[in-house]
Amino acid sequence: MVENNLLSIIIFAPLAGAVINWLLGKRMNSELFSGAVACAAVGVSTIVGFMIAFGIGTPHTGALFTEGGKPVLDHLWTWMSVGDFRADFGLGMDRLSGIYVCFVSFVGFLIHVFATGYMHGDKGFYRFFAYLNLFMFAMLTLVLADNYLLMFVGWEGVGLCSYLLIGYYVNKDEARKAAKKAFVMNRIGDWGVLMAIILMATTMGTISFFDKTAIGQDVTSVFSWVSQNILTADPFTAGAIVAGGMTSIAVLLFIGATGKSAQIPLLTWLPDAMAGPTPVSALIHAATMVTAGVYLVVRSSAIFSNAPTALFIVAIVGAATAIFAATIGLAQNDIKKVLAYSTVSQLGYMFLACGVGAYVIAIFHVMTHAFFKALLFLGSGSVIHGMHHEQDMRRMGNLKKYMPITWATMMTGWLAIAGIPIFAGFFSKDEILYYTFSASNLPAGWNYFLWIIAVITAVMTAIYMTRLMVMTFWGKERFHEELPDAEHHDDDDDDHHAIPADFKPHESPWTMTVPLIVLAVLSTFGGLVGIPYALSGGNVDNYFKDTLTPVVAKVKTGKEEKKEVKHFFAPKAGGEGEEAHSAEEIALERGLAAGSVVLAIIGILIGWFGFKNNPLRKMPKLFERKWYLDEIYNKGIVDPITRGSRNVLWKGFDVGLIDGTVNGIGHFVAEMGSLARRIQVGFVRTYAAFILLGAILVIAYFIYYGYKLVG
Amino acid sequence: MEYLNENLLTILILLPAFGAVALIGHQLFWKEEAHLKWLTLAFTILNFLISLALLGNVAASENGFFFEKNIPWIEAINTNYHVGVDGFSLWLVILTTFIMPIAVISTWHAVEKRAPAFYVFLLLLESAMLGVFVTLDLLVFYLFFEASLVPMFFLIGIWGGKDRIYAAVKFFIFTALGSLLMLVAIISLYYLHLQATGTGSFDYITLLGSIQSGKLVLAGQAGTLLFLAFALAFSIKVPLFPFHTWLPDAHTEAPTAGSVILAGVLLKMGTYGIMRFNFTLFPEASREMAWIFIILAIIGIIYGALVAMVQPDIKRLVAYSSVAHMGFVVLGMFSFTEAGMQGALYTMLSHGVTTGALFLLVGFIYERRHTRLISEYGGLSSVMPIYATFFVITAMASIGLPFLNGFVGEFMIMLGMWSSTILSGNWNQVATMFAGTGVIFAAVYLLWMVQRVFFGKITNEKNKGLSDLSLREIGLMAPLLFLMVFMGVYPSLFLRESAASVRGIQKIVIGETTKGGTVDSPPEIGQVEKNLPDTN
Repeated sequence: MVENNLLSIIIFAPLAGAVINWLLGKRMNSELFSGAVACAAVGVSTIVGFMIAFGIGTPHTGALFTEGGKPVLDHLWTWMSVGDFRADFGLGMDRLSGIYVCFVSFVGFLIHVFATGYMHGDKGFYRFFAYLNLFMFAMLTLVLADNYLLMFVGWEGVGLCSYLLIGYYVNKDEARKAAKKAFVMNRIGDWGVLMAIILMATTMGTISFFDKTAIGQDVTSVFSWVSQNILTADPFTAGAIVAGGMTSIAVLLFIGATGKSAQIPLLTWLPDAMAGPTPVSALIHAATMVTAGVYLVVRSSAIFSNAPTALFIVAIVGAATAIFAATIGLAQNDIKKVLAYSTVSQLGYMFLACGVGAYVIAIFHVMTHAFFKALLFLGSGSVIHGMHHEQDMRRMGNLKKYMPITWATMMTGWLAIAGIPIFAGFFSKDEILYYTFSASNLPAGWNYFLWIIAVITAVMTAIYMTRLMVMTFWGKERFHEELPDAEHHDDDDDDHHAIPADFKPHESPWTMTVPLIVLAVLSTFGGLVGIPYALSGGNVDNYFKDTLTPVVAKVKTGKEEKKEVKHFFAPKAGGEGEEAHSAEEIALERGLAAGSVVLAIIGILIGWFGFKNNPLRKMPKLFERKWYLDEIYNKGIVDPITRGSRNVLWKGFDVGLIDGTVNGIGHFVAEMGSLARRIQVGFVRTYAAFILLGAILVIAYFIYYGYKLVG
Repeated sequence: MEYLNENLLTILILLPAFGAVALIGHQLFWKEEAHLKWLTLAFTILNFLISLALLGNVAASENGFFFEKNIPWIEAINTNYHVGVDGFSLWLVILTTFIMPIAVISTWHAVEKRAPAFYVFLLLLESAMLGVFVTLDLLVFYLFFEASLVPMFFLIGIWGGKDRIYAAVKFFIFTALGSLLMLVAIISLYYLHLQATGTGSFDYITLLGSIQSGKLVLAGQAGTLLFLAFALAFSIKVPLFPFHTWLPDAHTEAPTAGSVILAGVLLKMGTYGIMRFNFTLFPEASREMAWIFIILAIIGIIYGALVAMVQPDIKRLVAYSSVAHMGFVVLGMFSFTEAGMQGALYTMLSHGVTTGALFLLVGFIYERRHTRLISEYGGLSSVMPIYATFFVITAMASIGLPFLNGFVGEFMIMLGMWSSTILSGNWNQVATMFAGTGVIFAAVYLLWMVQRVFFGKITNEKNKGLSDLSLREIGLMAPLLFLMVFMGVYPSLFLRESAASVRGIQKIVIGETTKGGTVDSPPEIGQVEKNLPDTN
């Protein structure tokens, strides 16, 4: 365990960038200045992040290679300390946060560069980059925090930045509504995180991720506590959820994760969040922030692994969200909405992976998803940019003729998410399917059921992504098409121009295409770091998995409960690890992989032949209207609360009952007064009279009582 | 130096009153109204600087208070001018002296009539509020407690909005009615002490000593009644649900300075009183009655938030948010844990800063447009970007975003309530979970308001020409914004000072100690050994 004070640079560089842009940006009034400051700030984070993670130019081994997954720490100050409770402002990079820091800062950097092109000419340019930098600060704080409460700071911070950036186009009515909705839904989840932190603090007496004794701080970690005190996992019962043990903590944490990562039931904010600028959708609502929920679950794997009920819930919610969002994604016409639902669906996959105990695979999918989904979003941003802010795919078509680079790069993203071998998404998704199929921590049969759902979702993913590509890049040009349904309210926001008759889409500038190309390369080859043992022909170990395994806990299943005690952090013996690769397992994994390739191809073919010649095919209304979820929430929850608060609580209770009573007494006394004295008495004086009268009575009573008491 | 230490608190109390006299004198001889605000500002800033000297390391007297001064006042009834601060009241004193200059500057152009009287009332109010926080004699405490009503009554009644008379009277009636019962209770305490020990006393330290040493027993019905009499006065002040209905009216009608002081300081007199007097003088009754206050506090948190959500008037919305926040404070206190009580104190401070700032911000826009209706606004962020930025930061502080001040206190309160043992079974945890929903609702009502006021297109022509904040207004907000961030990232500075005192009160109220804490060695009073048996 080592200390490295450079860690704080990773988070403070973007904060400095945000402050500089905030204070000077307007005065400088230069896109070059604002863009350069913002990109440089994130660039610094990226470089320092990689240095510490890989041990380049540092006195210690890289955080990704330390023995037993020990973290690199940086203790700044004790943030809060009361009684036995203590929360530090301290940072720590272990293998998990190291991987996160690397891809978050690198993808973030690319998106910053892209945004300098995309936001060109926007009058709030400096403000946009200040927010974007602030977001990087919060996100990196989230992953580098060395305890739950500081992580919660980042957790809320990214929520705030998301709020500010969704609402960035302040003139758009839908944007401000979406911003508030996002924040509030996140807050509902945050309640769970807060309660979980408090529950941990009170039961374990610590909320730290790492033992900090080696750097002279008297702090032990939650996970040490778990490994020392929890000998058997919680029982697999519903009662465990409210028992106040590991399962309660896990479920509360997962409530937070459903908010941040847009899972059922808190998923409706993410698609609406697409009202923000497209780089924001790519950075926050696809690649980084929304995966914070997965990070939280994996970070807490020691807790979840002792909470079978919670894992079961996680798996079910993940699978349900995956397929639910996929059905909606099939029927959307807005290019960003399709990608948004696809993100929700992919996040569902990640939680499914967590739920079957394949934490490492979840993180693997987080990473590959960050590559290809950032690529797809940026690609869609390039399309929108080239189409003069048109987002409706029904008015696109044949764009490959005009935007060849965008088309070619998006192709890799498409193949990656559809699950075609070699491309990044294939390996991670395939692993999730395999681990779901062979999961042993779920009740009998459930692993097959969830696997079937995941497979159907995979086919649907291939279909809707193919539909997106076909509608956008193939077919005939529909730039001037009238939209059939009038209910699509094209709000009169400033940046929405009517498309001129002689309109020709154009390819985007290099600041936008270069990030696309880099991400396309990553989407193509990035998955190879995690190539499974079985698929590599037994020649290569799963490098990604070997790296991460020491820092996540192994799920306890009923069978091995006894012997699994206290082995969460046992360092791996050799390169092989605990997992034996039996011949049957390898055969199974290969068979499933072959199957999923076939399914992906089927999905692509359905999409191709279903929409190539008929891109405007009518989709089921239920899917298009998102299963009426928004309407249900509004009618069922929001409206009753608002109406009740206004009519019952405020007007009924406050004004009616309490004030009415007080005023009534006042009037009564006033009446009596005027009757008795036959003079017109002012409001104030009657009140005064009332006070006096009441006071005398009360005092008299008390004196009488006090007298009795004393005498 | 010794002399200064002894009289520091007296100087703090008297300086504003002296300033008020000076103002009147100035008005009599020079008749130059433009000078008044400068004079007032000078006095309040001077007082703030002096109050910082309280942070100096002065050895506590043997009963745990610093800067103590005890001189006889009316010897016939044994009431003394006895002042002192501990780590608990220290921050409330500084909060008061800090808020006052800000309140003065906030009214720089807003006082349109009777300016001399306005500033005189402000200064008198400061004296009274400081008196409340430092007095250790119950009778004198009561006098200061009541005295603070009068200037505020006039501030609302003369310089308030349309329904100012109604609001002022309502404010006066609610609070005065409650405190009358407290006077009765104070007098009873005097007699009970007289009966138990042979000498009557209003002195807090003396009473506490007698109670702790078992000479004065306030158990059973007597203790409960006395507790309730005190608690009623303070609950109305807080205000605790259902005594809160005076607050929205008072806030809405009060001038900006009045609202800032009301939210920033006056409400804290209630929570201060409960923790200082109810908890230590009637620990048993406090424990017995805690469940009632916890329930009312939780209702207040949720109720305040829900009603705030549907308010059409920005100021009224902020007022209801105060009900919710003060509910948190009460909840934290009645958890009887160190975390909860420290959190309560911290929330008092941060609520003073944040809600004070919110009222200032509402005042800024009111001075420009003379309306506070949310529906009159919309899209302000495009014409007033600095204002919008400040407002959003302040709203976030109020929502309880971590690294801003509100979060620290609320988190500690929830932590304290969760680990409390005051309710039976799992009810402590259930209570915390309910209180925690306040965190969600706070986001709803504030962000909804922010969304309607600041975002979107400008729909009202009148808002097109609004000017952004002036240098004075920015300067006014700057220290508050700084504090919001600073208190959020480095709370130890504040919590360190108050830890020992709060722990002392906590030990007494949970009955863990009969000695120690704030009271190290209760003074011996007379030789009377007769203990009052339980009257029941």
